[in-house]
Amino acid sequence: MSTLSIFVVIINIVLALLFSLGLAPILVWVERRVAGLIQDRLGPNRCHINGIRLGGLVQSLADMLKLAFKEDFQPKAIQESFFFSLAPVIVFVSAFLSFMVMPFADDLIINGERFIMQGLPTDLGILWFLALAGLSVYGIMLGGWASRSKYSLLGAMRAGAQVISYEAAMGLSVVSLLITYGSIHLGDMVAYQGELLLGFIPAWGIVVQPIATIIFIVTAFAEANRTPFDLAEGESEIVGGFHTEYSAMRFGLFFVGEYVAMSASSALIVTLFFGGYHLPYLNTQTLQSTMPYILGFIILALPVGSFYAMRWIRKHNRWCEAGDVRNRESAFLQKGIIGFNVLVIVGLGALLYLGLTPTSTNVATAVIQISTFAVKLLLMNFVFVWVRWTLPRFRYDQLQTLGWKVLMPLAIANIVISAIIVVVKGL
Amino acid sequence: MGIKVVKRHGNTLKEKLYLPAVFVGMKTTLSHFITNLSDKPHIKTMNYPEEQPHDISERYRGVHRLTKREDDTVRCVACFMCATACPAECIFIEAEERTDGVDEKMPKRFDIDLLECVFCGACVEACPCDAIRMDSGIFSFIGQKREDFVLTKEQLLAHKEKKQ
Repeated sequence: MSTLSIFVVIINIVLALLFSLGLAPILVWVERRVAGLIQDRLGPNRCHINGIRLGGLVQSLADMLKLAFKEDFQPKAIQESFFFSLAPVIVFVSAFLSFMVMPFADDLIINGERFIMQGLPTDLGILWFLALAGLSVYGIMLGGWASRSKYSLLGAMRAGAQVISYEAAMGLSVVSLLITYGSIHLGDMVAYQGELLLGFIPAWGIVVQPIATIIFIVTAFAEANRTPFDLAEGESEIVGGFHTEYSAMRFGLFFVGEYVAMSASSALIVTLFFGGYHLPYLNTQTLQSTMPYILGFIILALPVGSFYAMRWIRKHNRWCEAGDVRNRESAFLQKGIIGFNVLVIVGLGALLYLGLTPTSTNVATAVIQISTFAVKLLLMNFVFVWVRWTLPRFRYDQLQTLGWKVLMPLAIANIVISAIIVVVKGL
Repeated sequence: MGIKVVKRHGNTLKEKLYLPAVFVGMKTTLSHFITNLSDKPHIKTMNYPEEQPHDISERYRGVHRLTKREDDTVRCVACFMCATACPAECIFIEAEERTDGVDEKMPKRFDIDLLECVFCGACVEACPCDAIRMDSGIFSFIGQKREDFVLTKEQLLAHKEKKQ
């Protein structure tokens, strides 16, 4: 193994960590601020480190510290102490590992060596995700059972029944995708979505397989135990559901695991249906052949975008008391944005001035695709949060009816239709 | 009386699909989100300890105060009407003779235990001299120990009427 390949592998692992684990505090912040703004409230905006609030993001840090240093309380009734501790670990690890097969960028070629840009360089793709996403419910059920509390047990049973019924529809909707894309490797699926349909529509999964998209997104919400399917922790009826008896970092693992699972689901939705790391109309080849224009466009567009961002910060990032230390943040942020602009423009300008080599083109492609993927991932996560603060919870029988009587037949019909289309086109 | 036939909802295909209604709901929440990020947010909350509420009504029953006469002495004549009317029995008065000739009696001690007070305003209604009022506008009273919440005559006299 050369130094270069070790470096690329480390970069990949760091990226996977950032997208899954590093995103969790950001998602907690997004959840709380978006909830606030949707309900005409402010949300957490007070916490600061020497005046730096980042719109309340520092609150996540404070919450994390609180969870880490809280008393780890365990009720006396719990006899299976090991399983009680193991349950959050299973939830967290399975959510975390399921993220590892998401491709952030097209295969990177440096000096003739080919690197798969995902956390684990494996071709298992969607099978890996389905296996591990299904595993996380074991953690929930184990935790609910080991808690020795009726509420926990009820929550765990609900979660178990829900995941079983939605996993079926999810698997069937994936089968129709496999028929269309002809591969289980997520990289191949994204490559398929880089093509154009009829010459002018990007062949994204949502265009090719609209019904599978709807089924998959609905079932992904159910898999991630998010509203409107979060009956497992329905606080109006069963206190906290499966995590009623948990406290401190053991609860923290459940909590972070939920957000990592949500992030993994959004990553899969983006990969399967929204073109993955592709920008519309710019697949890897087009991106590489037009790279100088793309970089020039970034050099022009970045200052314009930053100007509006800075204007927004000046107007809105204020604290109500004039002399408060939090008022210094805006100047700091604006300096940061200007510094970032100068850095990027100088770097790209030097790159363009010196001329693009194949390696630098490939690396620039990978960076652009990783950024595209990150933006799409955040947007999809925003949709998860947005839906949570819009829809009320389903009743349990409605949930099962939807799963078995609507989504399942729809998924089977979709398989038949897509199979017929594929066979007829193939003849 | 005629019979009013109420239209049943939920049976059309559009309603059974759920999704159109879901999208309508999501549109509503997104419009709130975008409005609150824009230049004219509709945020109803305030940064409380720094920003104080400005819509406290004139009739709001805040912490009590003892009013004064024109010559700046206590108006109360220690008639015990308020203590008698008080349903929470949180007013403790000790009377003494008034020697400056303005009146015959005045309170030596006038304590109100805010931890027992239910802020019903019965003492204000009962007072024949308009000596006790609840128009100070103080809605949050802070103390470090229980004794801090027993207001003495001097503290009650120090509270000012809230200007609208």
